[in-house]
Order: sequence, then C-alpha cells, then structure tokens
Amino acid sequence: MTTIPVVYVKGQYNHLIARRLQELGVDSHLTPPSTPLEKFEVMGADALVMGGGPQSVRSLDTLTGELRDASNLMTKIRLPMLCICVTHQLMATTFGGATNLAKRPEFGPVEVSVSDEDTILAGLKPSFTAWESHNDEIVSAPPGFKVLASSDNCSVQAMRHEKMNLFGVQFHPEVYHTSKGADVFKNFLKIVDDYKRA
Amino acid sequence: MTLEGFRPSSYLTSETARLQETIGDSKAIAAVSGGVDSTVAALVAKRALGDRLFPIFVDTGFLRIGEPESVKARLGESSLGLRVKLVKAGGRFLEATRGEAMAEEKRKKFRETFYQVLGEEARKDGCDFVVQGTIAPDWIETQGGIKTQHNVLEQVGIDSLSAYGFRVVEPISELYKDQVRVLGRHLDVPKDLSERQPFPGPGLLVRCVGTVSKKKLDLLKFSTKIVEEKLGPFNYDQYFAGVIENRFTEEPVYEGLDETAAGALGLPASETRVDVFEDRVTGVKGDTRSYGRLAGIKIKDDSRETYGWLPEKLRLAQSSIVEKLAEVTRVAVLIKEKRTGPPLSVIVRAVSTRDFMTAAVAQVPWKILKDIADSILRLRSSSRVYYDITPKPPATIEFE
Repeated sequence: MTTIPVVYVKGQYNHLIARRLQELGVDSHLTPPSTPLEKFEVMGADALVMGGGPQSVRSLDTLTGELRDASNLMTKIRLPMLCICVTHQLMATTFGGATNLAKRPEFGPVEVSVSDEDTILAGLKPSFTAWESHNDEIVSAPPGFKVLASSDNCSVQAMRHEKMNLFGVQFHPEVYHTSKGADVFKNFLKIVDDYKRA
Repeated sequence: MTLEGFRPSSYLTSETARLQETIGDSKAIAAVSGGVDSTVAALVAKRALGDRLFPIFVDTGFLRIGEPESVKARLGESSLGLRVKLVKAGGRFLEATRGEAMAEEKRKKFRETFYQVLGEEARKDGCDFVVQGTIAPDWIETQGGIKTQHNVLEQVGIDSLSAYGFRVVEPISELYKDQVRVLGRHLDVPKDLSERQPFPGPGLLVRCVGTVSKKKLDLLKFSTKIVEEKLGPFNYDQYFAGVIENRFTEEPVYEGLDETAAGALGLPASETRVDVFEDRVTGVKGDTRSYGRLAGIKIKDDSRETYGWLPEKLRLAQSSIVEKLAEVTRVAVLIKEKRTGPPLSVIVRAVSTRDFMTAAVAQVPWKILKDIADSILRLRSSSRVYYDITPKPPATIEFE
C-alpha cells in the first residue's frame, strides 16, 4: 500500500485531500508540518501532499507557525511532493521564486489552460474547469521549475521541478467541483509508484 | 450507492465499540434536530447504549413552520424508535440574540443558550454525556475561523464538562455529509430523512441577516415555505430563503459597480443598477473568513424580459464584482420588486453540492424564480426578491 500523509496547514480542504487519497486506495492522514523527518520514515511515507491555508506567504522572513514549518519541511524532505494553493505559493517563495497579491484574485470556477501535460496534468489538455480560492499568486516561478498551466487571471496555475518530483498547483484538485481533480491525484500516484520502483 | 473507501458496516462496528468504552454504564442525551447528521449520530449511539440514550429536540424558535412537532413524530416512528423529548426554549433564544447584528456574535450567543439548555436537561435526566451529530465540515469551518458552528466545542478549546456539566461525544465527526447519508441508509433511515436537505443548527437565525425581529422572522418562515414547496421537485442539494433589510451603503468604494456589472452583462450602464446592502453576509475568500457586503444587481425590466436568465453572463458579473472588491462576498440578481411595501428583501438561494465544502449555483428556470417572487411579494411583507448567484467560494452556502 502507498502511504501519503497530508501536511495540515489549517486550510478548509486539507481533510478532503486525505479523503480523496483514501478513495484512491492510499493510506492517508493529516499530519502537522512540524512532524520530524524520522516520523515520516516511521510511518512509511512514500510521498507528501501539502494543502492550502488562509495565510499569506509573500516573504520567507515573515513566515510564522505552520507555514514556516512547512517551508522548512519542503527544503529537507526527499520525497515526491504535491503542493496545493498556499503551499504551491510557498514552494515559489522557498525556492527563489516570488509570490504577491494577485492583480485579480480567483474564487470559484476558473478555466485552466494546460501547456505541458507530461506529468500531473496528463490527459487534461487543452483545458479544464477547476475551483480556486486565492488572493495571492505566484508572480515568478522559482529557478529550475517549469510552468505547466495558466488561467486568464493567473500565470502559474501549475508547475513542476525539472529534475525532482516537486509539483505545485494553484487550484484545488481535492474539491468535488474540480471534476477532473481525481486525475491530478491519479497522475501524482503514478509518479509516486515510479519513484518507489526506482 | 456506495462510496469508494467508505465501509458503513465496519465504521459502525468500531464506532459502537468506541462509544461503549467512552460512555461505560453512564447515560447520555442525544441532541436531535430531525436532520440526517443528528439522526444518524443518535442511531449509532442507540446501538451502543440502548435505553440509556435520551433523545432531546430543542425548539429554538428559529425553526420552520410545524417543524418541532413533525420531527418528534417522525423520529418516534417504529422504524427509527427514537422517543424524543421536546424542549421549548424559543423565548430564551430570542432574548439571547436580541439586538445583535454581527453574524459571529449571533452564532456564539445561540451556541451558549443551546448548551445551557442541554446542560439543564442532562442534569434532570442524570446524563453525563451529550451525543451530537457534528461532522467534518463543522469543525473544519469553526477551527479555520470561517464561521462558528453551534455544535463545535472541544475542537475550539471549550471544555464542555466545566462549562455545561457534560462531556460531548461525536460519533460521526470524521465524516462528510455524503458518507453520513451512506451510513444512514445502512442503518435503514428512510430515504426522505437520509436525503433531507441540511438545515443549519441555528436555523433561521442565520438566514435572518443582521438583527432579528419578529417581522423579519415571520417573513422568513413564510418565504421558506414557499421556496421549499416550489423548488422541492427540482432536487437541488440545498435551497432556501434569507431576509435582509433594504438599507444600502453609500461608501464611495462601491461607485462604479453599475459599470462593472453592465460591462460583464454586455448591457449599457443605464440598463443596470447595483445596490450594496448595509448588513454584512458571510463568505470565504482565499481560505479566510470574509464578512462583507451583498451586491444586488438590477437589470431593467424590459432588458430582463429580452434576455431572460443569462446564467453565463451573470456568472461573469458575479466574479467581476467579487474580484474587483475584496469587501464584496456575495452577488444576487433582482427577480422582482414592488414600489411599495415594507423595506425588506427576500433572497432565494439554491445550490448543487456534494460535501458542502464547495457549491455551484443552481440554474433554476427563470419562470420558476418569477413564480416564487410573485408568491413572496403577495405576502405584502417585503418589497424585493433576489436570487443569490454566488458559488462557494467566495460565498458560504448559508448567509451568515
């Protein structure tokens, strides 16, 4: 069985992520971002998913609480990782990109255009409707990352690291109204399976 | 229907054992409302406790017409076997929330009164525990500061034992609504109950936007009846009415919304008008509670007759307004208004949702909306009827 803890950063949908993963046969529970690395080993984690949350992550210096812990965790853990919404932005802030107040925020249904469907967005070209809820956005992807999708209001809807198994999405694949959301998790699980075999 | 990864029988077995271990030989009250969550929670507890479970229905006064009596009768039927004690406390709840306009304060005062009443009942019956039907979205939204659900205590650090004299037990707190319904069917809960649309614990209190008055509450009760009758056959996941006073803000920040709406609708600015209500409504933007304004779009009658519903354009108008102004959490479109009549508006809401974490606006046929508006205006207790066109997010499903 595949084990994928969901890092809980106080977002409303974090618990739903675990539910979606359980529906796909994955052993998944919420765990705080302060969880020590050894503990992930003990639970046999094969990958991590980090959820969204209400905080703003525009600068590393002003991070507090869960998001500071989550940023630390991102730099230390060596597992495939899918980061959603605020932790997608946190990945940019942590790895040398930039996050700022969105010129136009997005709430509810948004059309996401896929430019690169190789990995987590496999099968989702040319576009799909996703549900969003964000006031901030990534304004520049970090070095080494490739942008996979965008929308009218937001240029980095999804990104991945060129070499490592690090993925981020601005939209919420875990909510029911993102009808192709399960595909994103299935694609991620495929990547995790390949990683386990390697 | 079964849901992937959720097995009601094994859930029931482990939860029954857990309840027996927690409650031991003590007695427990089950707080029931007739909704699927509290009914299922009570039935799970009944399996564990048998006659040591005392179901109680608190009549808060914020219920629908005829609701307390019909729920008591329904739950008492032999198939469910929950012998419910009805506790009338409408006067206390009205007193506790009198004059309070802020949604969170109203919810907290409701919660306080609710648990005081339960505490008194627990003492009378010698119960050390209260079983309640809290589900996952309740504690997620309360913990996340989106809104205070009346049935969440321990997750936000309230010690129920010292505050109210009992301990809380929540047999379904890890489940979502769709999972609760599966569990309900497994427990032979009749379909009309297991599929019943949710009704919030604080009831009509949170659909009476701003301060509560007898006038608003009466209008709301009759409008609710009309909306439930007219929309019932459509099987939307949730549909109801709200009431708000016709007081509008003149703050300069809202100038220009007429043009924003007109632009999105593809109409000349002279064909539309946007009124921003003074009383605040609850929303959730960027995972944060947003207690902001309701913008009401009016499209001039003759244009409206030409264009009908315009769902796609109205969706665009809605998103343009909430993206432009952080202060606006909801947008509604005027169905019909009367020149004369009391300065109150009724807002009709209908959504499709599976787990109540996100919701899409239901595309109710325009003819039906007009029919509802006509019936509501005939009550002569309001002068406007709107339809809420905001998904969740950025609005929540309920108004407060």
